Amino acid sequence: MEMLTLSNVSKRFGSHQILNDLSFQVSENTIYGFIGENGAGKTTTMKMILGLYSVDSGVIQVNGERVTYGQTNTNRYIGYLPDVPEFYGYMTPTEYLRLCGEITGVAESQIKNRIPELLELVGLEKANKRIQGFSRGMKQRLGIAQALLNKPKILICDEPTSALDPIGRKEIIDILQSIKKQTTVIFSTHILSDVERICDEIGLLHNGTLALNGTLEEIRNMRKSDGFMIEFDKVDDAKNFANIYMGCEFLSGTELSFNGKTKEDMMAAMRLLYENQIYPVKIEMREPTLESLFLEVVSK
Amino acid sequence: MRQLAAFTKKEFMEIIRTGKVYILLILFVIFGIMSPAIAKLTPWMYDMLADSMKDQGITIGKTVVTALTSWQQYYKNMSMEFIAFVVMFCGVLTLEYQKGTLINMLTKGLPRWKVIVSKYLAVLISWSICYLLCFGITYGYNAYFWDNSTAKHCVFAAFTSYLFGLWLISLIMLFSSLLNTSTAVLLATGLMYAVVLLLGMIPKLVDLLPTKLTRGVELLAGATKIQDYTLAIVVTIVLIVISGIVTIIHFNHKRI
Repeated sequence: MEMLTLSNVSKRFGSHQILNDLSFQVSENTIYGFIGENGAGKTTTMKMILGLYSVDSGVIQVNGERVTYGQTNTNRYIGYLPDVPEFYGYMTPTEYLRLCGEITGVAESQIKNRIPELLELVGLEKANKRIQGFSRGMKQRLGIAQALLNKPKILICDEPTSALDPIGRKEIIDILQSIKKQTTVIFSTHILSDVERICDEIGLLHNGTLALNGTLEEIRNMRKSDGFMIEFDKVDDAKNFANIYMGCEFLSGTELSFNGKTKEDMMAAMRLLYENQIYPVKIEMREPTLESLFLEVVSK
Repeated sequence: MRQLAAFTKKEFMEIIRTGKVYILLILFVIFGIMSPAIAKLTPWMYDMLADSMKDQGITIGKTVVTALTSWQQYYKNMSMEFIAFVVMFCGVLTLEYQKGTLINMLTKGLPRWKVIVSKYLAVLISWSICYLLCFGITYGYNAYFWDNSTAKHCVFAAFTSYLFGLWLISLIMLFSSLLNTSTAVLLATGLMYAVVLLLGMIPKLVDLLPTKLTRGVELLAGATKIQDYTLAIVVTIVLIVISGIVTIIHFNHKRI
């Protein structure tokens, strides 16, 4: 069953066309990765799904019901985590979750059970201080807890990992992964590795419409490898190796780039390094960046 | 009802935990003490000045201070109370827009009108407590030092100023719905007050405008009667209701 349907949605701010005839669907119990550059319209799309922005034309449906602007009844199906969640800093996490529970209409008995349960899920069970002293990562985790409070059918996360350090990012990804079975997750990001770790389906927003839409498997098959790079300690080593292994580019005095090469090519390069007794500081398979994937898709 | 109670409770928690409550209480206690204190000190100050004034050929006669002197001072200070209160609460909604804290509440299904009603309640109750405290202190001191019966209708006069405060609150809420920053709300409220004050210069309009309500002091001295305020009271209540409705209607369509 489709949990979310956008049909021919357009949105314009002044003379700037943000979304242009955007259509996509998200089925139940999938994790949908919504990617695109900064300013591509991801947040605008999410805010329209939440009824915070009006739709110029087109229809958005959540769980089969049409989303209306202003008074948005469909929000009862949705848990929302904003990109930088802001809470009332003078409250403790328990007080804030209680307020959310009372507003969203969770029964008193359930609130009592659910709050400790959620705080444990997001690892905040011991943080019984006011929210104003929280780090960004802690706020993000509290954001997930409040979004899951009413057991939503859809969890919408707006760049939940973008502002976090690697540890914070991993924690959030782990939490999202652990709730995969309970709810449909739509999450926007521009960090491709996060998408690869947890998403079932991907939509790439470009020029106000989906330039790419499909399962992770389908997307993976489209992708080309970006090659690898080697960093050396000394400039001489880099020059020597460039003479031995042809077809590389200097990124800097000590860094060589091997564009378009495969894993097998990298193994061969490592063998050559060993045979010639050249010591590298770093060898790295280059993950395709959002930009490279983007260019691949858009230039098609 | 549960949503309304929960959000109103949150409003009061905010007033208490952000320390606003202490600032308000201290300010309004000071305002309450100030009027009788100044009245009490007036003869003493004149005595101090009398000698130096005598050298310049000015003689100061004996000054008689009554409860009326203190009440006159009370109404002179009133504008400071209004300003202090508006400054304290001009960010009641705009700070939530700026921080984005309302988004979570609205996406949790809190109807928008309940946000406005909760905030109205919190500001209204705060104003009532502050005003009652200030009035009570002045009234108590005046009764202790002098005799409140020399000031006619002093409770009714106090009520008119209280009602004027409610009109200012309705302006704060209206402009908070229309505008996005605290400064803009503060300026717009001030501008509106100035406009009404200017309109008050037209003799025909004097008895119609909310600013009439700030002139309770005339009532104390017996220069005006209670009936003279009826029109201004009715107009003010109508204005409060209208701005309340506009606030809610506009807020329902506001992009947050």
